[in-house]
Amino acid sequence: MSERFTAATGRKLVSRASAEALGTLSHLVIDVPKRQVTSLVMGKGRKARLVDWDEVSGFGPDAIMIADESALHEPRDDHESAAGGGKLELVGKRVLSDMGNELGAVTDVVFDPASGAIETLVIGEQEVAASSILGVGSYAAVVKAPRD
Amino acid sequence: MRLLVTGSAIRGLPVVTTSGGEDVAEVRDLIYNPEAGRVVGLTLNKRGFLAGRRREVLPAQSIHAIGRDAVMIDDADSLVLPGQAPDEVGAPPTGRDVTGNEVLTEDGKRLGKVKDVVVLVGSNGEVVGYEIEPESGGTGYIPLPAQLAVSGSALVVPDPTQDYVESDLVGLGAAVDEFRSRLGMK
Repeated sequence: MSERFTAATGRKLVSRASAEALGTLSHLVIDVPKRQVTSLVMGKGRKARLVDWDEVSGFGPDAIMIADESALHEPRDDHESAAGGGKLELVGKRVLSDMGNELGAVTDVVFDPASGAIETLVIGEQEVAASSILGVGSYAAVVKAPRD
Repeated sequence: MRLLVTGSAIRGLPVVTTSGGEDVAEVRDLIYNPEAGRVVGLTLNKRGFLAGRRREVLPAQSIHAIGRDAVMIDDADSLVLPGQAPDEVGAPPTGRDVTGNEVLTEDGKRLGKVKDVVVLVGSNGEVVGYEIEPESGGTGYIPLPAQLAVSGSALVVPDPTQDYVESDLVGLGAAVDEFRSRLGMK
């Protein structure tokens, strides 16, 4: 079963140890070369906390299970700070082809909740395979040009 | 059919890294070599309103593609100080501005004055035509052969050019290949 970023946003993060809800998912961060979800971001701005994908024991339809509160951490480097600040949030981001033409904005990202593997990028009516993603930054997501 | 864009539409475009998705600069101006019919590089501004000029230049060989919405480069290392760029880009000879030059055909007919260059979208700076102000006023577009004769004040184009004065970029995009193949057949 595939999962979508827009459907996962707002889902509870629950500690398996205490059964407590620790917060809600604000967005997901991907690693471009690996085409993988690498971390989950909870909260926004300076209060943002990240959870590494490896700490997720179950990405379920109703809750995202993590071992305990200690899995939450503050941004550890520039990339994670940018992620925590929302600068790398994919949904809504401008999409450019590597030929310099704007294709629209990311409307959704389809991924496998078991492995975290990115499957497709949805750009309005178009779908782009994860293998075509070349880069994601604060300005744009860059994808290999469809024949344009 | 080719997608084309004028030089004025390239000025102000963001320069974006393919690997990073970051807008590292924006286009200030084009460095044009009229004899070669090529944009050989770009001068740059910092991003943002009134952010000012950047010292670095972007040589055309480091441009991945000039698009309608952005100039794509591999990464920020493509921006180099003028001293590290080829002379043609870092210290271009003066007198290369073709704006205002008269366009004359080989048989001596005046087609108009150059207003701007027309660049092939997706290329790294191939100039395929000029935007001109024809005698009759308004705006016209003419295709260019691969090479042409240029002086400080005029440029001489092949006679058949007068049959391909287009009223818009779409028309020019359709005419370029036909024009060039006609020249090649002569």
